[in-house]
Amino acid sequence: MAERIRMANDRIVEINSLVKRFGELTALDEVSFNVNKGEIFGLIGPNAAGKTTTLRILATLLLPTSGRVRIFGYDVVEEASKVRRLISYLAEDAGTYRNLAGYEYLSIVARIYFRSKRDIEEAVEEAVRISGLGDRIMDKMKTYSKGMKRRIQVARALMTRPKIAILDEPTAGLDVFHAQHVRDLIKRHISNGGSLILSSHNMLEVEHLCTRLAFIHKGRIITEGEPEEIKVMYGASNLEEAFLEVLKR
Amino acid sequence: MRGLRPLVEKEVKNLLRDPRIYIGLIIPIIMFPIIGFVISMTTSQAMEAAREKIKVTIIDEDGTEASERFISLLSDSGLNVTVSAKSLDEAIKSADKLGSKALLVIHRGFEESLKRFGRVNIEIYSVIRSVGFKSMGVQAAVSNVLKRTSEILSSTLISRVAPDVDPEVLRNPLNVTEYSVVKGKIVHAPSGSIFGQLMIGHGVLVPMILFVLSMTVTQIAATATAVENEEKTLETLLTFPVSRYDILLAKLLGSSVVAALGGVIFAAGFVLYFQTCFSGIGLEFGVGGLLTELPPPPSLSYAILIVSLILAILFVTSLGVVIGALSSDVRIASSLLSVITIPVLLPSLLIVYGSVDSLPLALRILVYAMPTSYPMIMAKEIILTPMPMQVIYGIPYSAALTLIVLYAASKILTPEKLLTLQYKIKLRRMKKERRWELE
Repeated sequence: MAERIRMANDRIVEINSLVKRFGELTALDEVSFNVNKGEIFGLIGPNAAGKTTTLRILATLLLPTSGRVRIFGYDVVEEASKVRRLISYLAEDAGTYRNLAGYEYLSIVARIYFRSKRDIEEAVEEAVRISGLGDRIMDKMKTYSKGMKRRIQVARALMTRPKIAILDEPTAGLDVFHAQHVRDLIKRHISNGGSLILSSHNMLEVEHLCTRLAFIHKGRIITEGEPEEIKVMYGASNLEEAFLEVLKR
Repeated sequence: MRGLRPLVEKEVKNLLRDPRIYIGLIIPIIMFPIIGFVISMTTSQAMEAAREKIKVTIIDEDGTEASERFISLLSDSGLNVTVSAKSLDEAIKSADKLGSKALLVIHRGFEESLKRFGRVNIEIYSVIRSVGFKSMGVQAAVSNVLKRTSEILSSTLISRVAPDVDPEVLRNPLNVTEYSVVKGKIVHAPSGSIFGQLMIGHGVLVPMILFVLSMTVTQIAATATAVENEEKTLETLLTFPVSRYDILLAKLLGSSVVAALGGVIFAAGFVLYFQTCFSGIGLEFGVGGLLTELPPPPSLSYAILIVSLILAILFVTSLGVVIGALSSDVRIASSLLSVITIPVLLPSLLIVYGSVDSLPLALRILVYAMPTSYPMIMAKEIILTPMPMQVIYGIPYSAALTLIVLYAASKILTPEKLLTLQYKIKLRRMKKERRWELE
C-alpha cells in the first residue's frame, strides 16, 4: 500500500472525465479535478449541482457511469474495500442510532477501524474531546439536538485518522458557535497530516477554510483554483461574487 | 470479519433498548398465562356451578307414586326441586322468577309406561340467562343428573325382571380395554390419547415456537435493517471498512440474539399457559404424560430438533434482513414481510396436518426446499423415528441456504442497486394504491 501511496505522490485524489447518469438525468458531466496531500479541497455549488453525487462516488457508495476515480492510486470501483480503509465519509444528512449512547457509538466505530486496545482507547478519547459533548456523551443519541448529532458525526469521521476525510456539508444546520468548532476541527485534521474534501453552499465559509476549490454547476466543473486566485480571475471581492460572475460568463 | 463483533454489539444494544422490541418480546410471557388463567378460571367456575344445588322446576302431569319417586331421586341426586302445578307457560314464568335453571315436564302415563317396560317421555326446558362456561356447566350438570337417574331406573327395572343379572353387564355386554403398541412397547392407553399427546407435546409446541418466533424475529430483523435506511445511518455504515456480507450477517446475528431471548420468554410463557390452562381441569396424565410411558428418544434427537429449529428461524430471519435492506422505510418493510414469510412458512403446515410422502411431487419438493419444514418433520417423527434422514440432510442444507441468501443480499447492498430496487418497489406500491383509489 505504501508503494501505491508513493506512486500517487502528492496527488491523492484523481478524478478524470467522471460521468454519472441516473436514467435520463446527467448528474455529473465530464467532471475532472485532483486533490493534493494536505489540502482542504472545497466543492462549491448550488443545490443539485452534483456535489453530493461526486462525494458519494469518492466514498464508494455510488458507481460512476464512466470516467475514472482514484484515491491514493486505488480505483474506487475495482478496489473499493482498500479505498474504504483510507477514507471516512460524513453524509450531509447522516443519522444516528437512537438507542446508543454517543460514547458507545464512537467506541463501536473505533473497534471497526483499529485492532489494538490502545489505538481504540486513544481514538475514542480523541473523538469524545473533539465532539465537545462533555457528560452528554454518555446519553442516548435520541436525546441529542441536531447540532450535537452533527458534532458526534464529525468526531466519528475524524477520529479514525483517515488519509482523506470526505465531508458533505459538514456545518449544515449548525449554529455559528458549533460551525466554528467544526471548522477548527477540520483545520486541526490538516495540521495533523490529513487531507480533506468537503462540499458546501456556504461560499464565505469555504473562502476562509479551503486551500483549493472547484465551482460545480449542473454537473460540470466551471472553474477550479485557490480562493484568492479565483477572486482575482473574476475581479470579485468574495467567492459568492466570483461564482455569480462565472455563471454570467 | 474484524468488524463483525462490534457490529453485532451495535445491533443487540440498539434492538434491546428499543421499547417497541421489548413490547414484542414481553407480550407472549404476559399473554399466554393470562389466556391460560382465563380458561382455567371459567372452567373452574363451570365445575363449581355444576357442584352447587341447581334449582329446577318440575311439572308433574302424572302425579303417581312412580313420578313422585322419580322427583325424589332427582332431589337426592343434587337438584333443588320445586314442583309446579301450573300450565307450561305459567311454569316457565315462575321458573324464571325462582331462578330455576331448567323446567322438567313429566307427562301423564309415566308410571304406566314404566310398568309396561316402555320408554317414558320427559321434556326439559333449559332456562338460558347468559352464554358462558358457567351456564354450559349448569346445563351439563342437569343432563348428568337425568342420565344418572335414568340408569337407576333402568337398574331397578332389570332387577325386577332378572334379579340374578348385573344390570351394568346387560347394558354394556362388551368390556373393551384399549392398548397401543409403539415401537414394540405396549402402552396402557387408547391410540387416540397417544395421538393427542403427540400432537400437543410436539405437533403443536414446535410449530407454535417456529411460527411465533419466526414472525417476531423476521419483523425485528427487517425493521432493524429498514431503520438504517430510514434514519440515514446505512450510508455511513456502508463506507466503513467492513464487507457488506458482514453488515448483513451482523443484522442476522444481532436479531438472533434478541430472538434467543424472545425464545426463552416465549417458551416460559407457553409452559405457563399450559400449566394454568390445564391444572384444575383434572387432565389425568398432564401434557406429554402418556409419552413418559414410551422409551424416550435419544438426547441427540432433541439436539437435532433444536438445531433444525434454530436454522429454520435463522433462514426466515435472513429473509427479514433482505426485506429490510430492500425497503426504504419500516412501513414498506412491514408490508413486504407477510408477502414473503407466510408463503415460506405455509409448506411446513402440510407436515403438521398430513404426511409428506402422500403429497404430490411438486408439493413434496416445495416442503423439502424450505428449511422451516425440517423441525416440523423432526417434531412429528421424534417419538417414532429418532433420526429421520431427511432432517439430517436438511441441517447443512438449511445452513447453506441461509448463507446463500445473505451472500446474495450482500451483492445488492450497494446504494446504487438499493436505490434502484427501492424506487421500483415504491413505484409499484404507488401504482397499486392509485388503482385501489380508482376502484
